[in-house]
Amino acid sequence: MYTTQLLDVVTTAGVLYIVAVGLLVVYGVLKIINLAHGAFLAMGAYAGVLTTWAGWNPWTALLLAVVMGVAVAALVEWRVLRALYARPLDTILATWGLNIIVVQILTLYFGREIHFAESAIAQPISVAGVTYSQYRLVLLLIAVALGVLVWLVMQGTQIGVVAQAVIMNEELAQALGINTRLVRFVTFCLGAGLASLAGALLTPLVSVHPNLGVPWLINAFMLVLVAGVSLGNLALAALVLGGAQVLVSSYGNPVLGSLTIVILAVIILRFRTITI
Amino acid sequence: MRKSSRTLVALALMLGLATLSGGAAAQSAAKQPIVIAVPVGLSGVNSVVAPAVVQSAELAVEELNAKGGIMGRPVKLIPLDDESGPAGAVKAFNTAIRQHKADVIITMETSAARNAGAPIADRAKTLFIYTSFYEGRACGKYLYVNAWVPEQIVSPLVKFMTNEKKVKKWFVLGSDYAFGRGLIEPAKKMITQLGGTILGEEYQPLQQSDWTAIISKIRAANPDGIMYATSGGGPNIDFMKQFKAAGLKMPVGSLSIDELTAEQGGNAAEGVYYTADYFTSIDNAENKTFLEAMKKKFGANLKTPNSLSEPEYDGIHAYAMAVEKAKSTDADKVAAVLPTIVFKGPRGAVQMNKQHHAPLPVYLGQVQADGKTKIIQSFGLVDPGNQCPNLK
Repeated sequence: MYTTQLLDVVTTAGVLYIVAVGLLVVYGVLKIINLAHGAFLAMGAYAGVLTTWAGWNPWTALLLAVVMGVAVAALVEWRVLRALYARPLDTILATWGLNIIVVQILTLYFGREIHFAESAIAQPISVAGVTYSQYRLVLLLIAVALGVLVWLVMQGTQIGVVAQAVIMNEELAQALGINTRLVRFVTFCLGAGLASLAGALLTPLVSVHPNLGVPWLINAFMLVLVAGVSLGNLALAALVLGGAQVLVSSYGNPVLGSLTIVILAVIILRFRTITI
Repeated sequence: MRKSSRTLVALALMLGLATLSGGAAAQSAAKQPIVIAVPVGLSGVNSVVAPAVVQSAELAVEELNAKGGIMGRPVKLIPLDDESGPAGAVKAFNTAIRQHKADVIITMETSAARNAGAPIADRAKTLFIYTSFYEGRACGKYLYVNAWVPEQIVSPLVKFMTNEKKVKKWFVLGSDYAFGRGLIEPAKKMITQLGGTILGEEYQPLQQSDWTAIISKIRAANPDGIMYATSGGGPNIDFMKQFKAAGLKMPVGSLSIDELTAEQGGNAAEGVYYTADYFTSIDNAENKTFLEAMKKKFGANLKTPNSLSEPEYDGIHAYAMAVEKAKSTDADKVAAVLPTIVFKGPRGAVQMNKQHHAPLPVYLGQVQADGKTKIIQSFGLVDPGNQCPNLK
């Protein structure tokens, strides 16, 4: 029982981290909440449907999802968002509008009904004496790998260091000759690509339909609010909030459990002393 | 003289015109179409199933008109959008009754839309045949139902799993809303009546698609079998995917899955048992004719007929037979004979003779590896029980 719960806590945290990391990256650098995050999740999930139709290996869906996400994000950043950075409130409207457009296009093409995407891993596995979903454990590993990867990019590469400079003080970075426009472009594409990747990774857990991103967007939004712009904080928030949700659902009931993330987020925001 | 002859001619002309137009008016009364309105969720949550409902209606109306209509009058179909909810239903019912002068409303709707529309039909004394399965106990003088209520679906499934699958210890779960709880309640009653015990009962919020916590509880409780009722469509597949990935293997009965969802879910729901009054694989002549006619009429655009769309076809035919028998479209006269009408359709013989509800043929299906459903048992006619004790 305790082993199962421990696994539930860490894998739930992993799933939440994967879903939220793209949103955090965009928020960190661009200072906007990408409300089209849910639409990018859905788009990634449909990449799984497309690869199933084509009869390709389910893992290729991940690559296709990233390509689709980055392509749409590049177009939108270039034609729409770029003009709106001086008006942060309008970016909320623009990204929400983008969300509606993408979801409607998916609905028009695929219909409202659910679709089937082949899972790469559907079997359970035995861990420390309990049978557990192998895919959830794989997701945990992917979450850790993604975290490390994004961290390495931020710490060890030119673009990462530049991005950090933009996060800390955009005007100063600009004055020092950093092309902040390029940094914003790359970051938005990266965030959207991560969101689509997350959508593709979700398909073995949930059914694919145009609105699948909505509930995940809400949880991701709460996590990012709590975590601010730090990847480490995001992992911690996913573990604490996701863990609390699992434990309240297990010892109480899932209805209370689903409230836990929201309530804890409010409490943490009220008492958090570190400002970003 | 000249003047008077002119007057006479004019008079004759006027008289002639009057007779002519009088004749035309009399003729149009005889040939005036009978209007069947179908307010259905063309947008909103029902928009997945609504096109199939309209197709069922179109086929039924085409068949009636091919036979010369009802009482020699052509039949006109008016599909309307009720937006899957109460506000849209009010608009759609008013449009149907006031603008299109509908003789009858025959449709599948959400319960919220039905509750909003039924009083409007009742006040206008317009017959309303409701063709969607629902939570039960909707009653009205002009309201008739030809689809299932929980009593007809739950008991056969619980009995089958208790007797054939030897499930004694149960875990029941559902989505946290009226339909989910409304189906788990009678299931629990039936389980205890048959001597089973309930090890756990859990409800998941509608928007939550991660079932991890409940699945861990099932594992800890280790029941012989599961009975679940999520909301329709996707959540069935979410739950079954995660249930299987977790390595749980006990038999599962579903009160919320349908043929189409099972098929779209691929192998996710393989092995799940569920009961329904209509499956495309029902083996009788009427169903074969129905499916062939549907395929011929709609070709590649055919939406697979299902237990939410097929009763629309039955409902229109039953209404036509009732009007022929009553020799009138007057709602009171048609309502008086409607319970005596037996329409033998794709589901079998359906008669709305039980407190405005219908005893229905119920079948047990099991989802196969390719997502298709195989009928493994037929329970014959199952009674809806006491739905409206104040109506006969």
